[in-house]
This record gives sequence, C-alpha cells and structure tokens, in this order.
Amino acid sequence: MKSPFRPDLAPGATVLDDHKPLIRSLERRGLIRGGLSLGALVMLTGCDITRPEAVESALLAISRFNDRVQALLFDPNKLAPTYPASMILRPPKFNAYYEVVDVKPVNGATWRLEVSGLVADKRAWTLPDLQALPQTSMVIKHICVEGWSYIGGWTGVPLRLFLERVGADLRAKYVAFKTADNYPSSIDMASALHPQTLLALQYGGEPLANPFGYPMRLRTAVKLGYKNPKWVTAIEVTNKYPGGYWESLGFPWFAGI
Amino acid sequence: MAPLHLLVVCGMLAVAGAAHAQSATPGGMPPPPGMSLAESAAMRFPQPVRVGDLLGREVLRPVESQDVLGRVRLVVRDKNGQIMVVIDFSGFLGFGTRPIAVPVDATVLLGQDMEIVAFTPKQLQQFPTFSSSGTTDVPDDTIIKVGLAKPSH
Repeated sequence: MKSPFRPDLAPGATVLDDHKPLIRSLERRGLIRGGLSLGALVMLTGCDITRPEAVESALLAISRFNDRVQALLFDPNKLAPTYPASMILRPPKFNAYYEVVDVKPVNGATWRLEVSGLVADKRAWTLPDLQALPQTSMVIKHICVEGWSYIGGWTGVPLRLFLERVGADLRAKYVAFKTADNYPSSIDMASALHPQTLLALQYGGEPLANPFGYPMRLRTAVKLGYKNPKWVTAIEVTNKYPGGYWESLGFPWFAGI
Repeated sequence: MAPLHLLVVCGMLAVAGAAHAQSATPGGMPPPPGMSLAESAAMRFPQPVRVGDLLGREVLRPVESQDVLGRVRLVVRDKNGQIMVVIDFSGFLGFGTRPIAVPVDATVLLGQDMEIVAFTPKQLQQFPTFSSSGTTDVPDDTIIKVGLAKPSH
C-alpha cells in the first residue's frame, strides 16, 4: 500500500549524487550524514532541490543557525576539563591541511604580531614582548573534528589579557587571526575572553616546536582543533564576519565544544 | 580526498612490485631514489620522544584504513649503532605475531600512535624475525628523535 506521506511527485534519485561533495564536506560523522537522506532533503520545504545552489544555501543556513544556538548556549565562565601534567602527550600530534614536509618554520627573531581593527594600540608585538606578559598554563584536550583527541600542556598569554593590553573593544563580535601558513581563522569575542583561551608560546614547558606553531599559536579549550591557528602573525578585532579556512569550505564557524 | 587516497593505494601496490618505485604515499615516502631514510626522516621535523613512551604503541599503516601493523615491543641499537624499533608484527588479535626490527627513520609519530611510512606490509613480511644478538636495548629514559606525519585518514 502506498504511504499517505509519500509525495505524488518524487524528486529525482540523482539529487543526492549531485550534492555528494557538499554533503561529504559538511561533516565526516556518519550520524549527521545519515540524516541527510533523500527524505531529509525533501524536508527542505520551499527549496527547489533540483538546483544544487538552493540545497547548499539551505544547508549553510542550518549551519549558521547551529552557530547562533551554540553561541547562545556558550557559558563564558564554565571551564573545560583539565588533566594532570603526567598525561601530556610529548610530542603533541601534528595536523595541518598539508603534509608535515611542507611546514615552513618561522624565524622567532624577526617574527612580529600585527594588531589591527577595533583596538587602541596597534603597535606590533615581538616574541620577547609577549614573553614579558603574565603567562598561564593549562593541560587540556585537543579535540579534532575528525574524531581523534590528545591531552596537551600549553603555556602562554591569556587572550583576554592581551586584548585588554591593546585596548581592544571587548564588545566587538569577532577576533580574527592570520597565520604564516595562510590559514585564516576567527572566533567569537566570548570565546576569546574565556580563561582557557591562550596565545600559546610553550608546549610541555618548552618553546613550541616548529611543526606546532612556533613562535605563537592560538590554543583554546572551548573550540574544536581547527579553530586553533598555528604560526599566528596578525590579530584583528572586528564586527565584520571574518570566516576562516575550513569555514569557507563548509565547516561550522562556531565549532564550540 | 578520494582520488588522493586512491593514489596512495596505487602507490603502495606499485612499491610492492618494485622496491625503488617512487610512491605517492603522503610526504613523499618511501624516499625517492637517491634519498636515504635518514635524509627523508629529516624532512619530517623529527621531535624528541622518550623511548619508554613508545613501548606498547600501535603501529599503523599510512593509508586511510589505518590498519594496525603491530605494536612497539622495544627499541634497540643494532650492531652499526642504528636505532631500530622492534615491532610485534602482524598476527591476529595479538596472537601469532613475530618481532621485526624497523629503522626508526622509517617510522613516524602520529599522536599516540606510530606509522611505518617507508615500507609496505609486503616488504615488512620479508623482514627477518628480530634476534637480540649483537644489539643493545635502548633504556626507557633515553630521548630519541622521530619524524612526524599528519593523520592518514
């Protein structure tokens, strides 16, 4: 017997094939991808699913909605779990959007951190400048969107402290990062001000090694791994959505944990 | 990503046939003709690691399925002074393994795991069963350097 819920006019079976790259790029987790059945696509009422752009914009709208919900649920005072120093993985796990042989080490002596946007003091910072600021250490889990994780020990300048020092407008929406490996990233101001968000200079009590972002990288306990840019060269405080490397390829922007 | 992984598999198959064929394994491993294991390992940003922290680690194959090749049993210096990682190789559910010694420069660190990037499983099957004669154990507290790789999945 024909289901009363079955539409008279079924969408073409090629619809899923047409959108395969987009669906694959959204998330590796089978649970979520499994939800994106032909039936679920039909649920995108009001969309013409024969047009790939329509489905893409619908899915991205859902992703942006998820970002807003995550931002609302974010508790700026809630701390992520921490671990004893004995659990620090030495060395940490390497990952990037390219192979390790393509890492281009940064010269710490000539490195400068540019500061721009809604800040009072746009002076560039040297590594000794950052090392002279009060440092905080934390042993936290690095959780990758791919499903793996490890426990790492990081030391550096709390981003909140840095933003206060440069006279940043703490009511601005975004803190954006540029890196030496051309991996732009950005986070919301609430996460930037979280006590477990550091401009990390050390791992396991030693200066960061080249493959892990020397001389400085972002490390935050409240975001997935891909929101932790390495080899940071510039910080901008802004109200204009800055996006990021994976975000421009369809990954969620908020990516909170 | 799929075409890249396909290339990797093709590369592994090609290497199984000709040991010196250039592979499309990520990071250019096994080393191209004329490049030594040590030279290729040096390109992988070798990092200090405590020998005791390597023992018991899973050793994976650098392909998307990340098949488990074995576990690290111990680290030794062979009679030439070269550091070798002794791996309980192959077997099924931990039974039926045999130890083989793989040059440390043929391996990489992958977070909590290791990978053998310079030899295919077929090549490893041809490795002789490890014998401790003429080798010296490297103590747990010794720091050695091992190259890195990004995850193969």
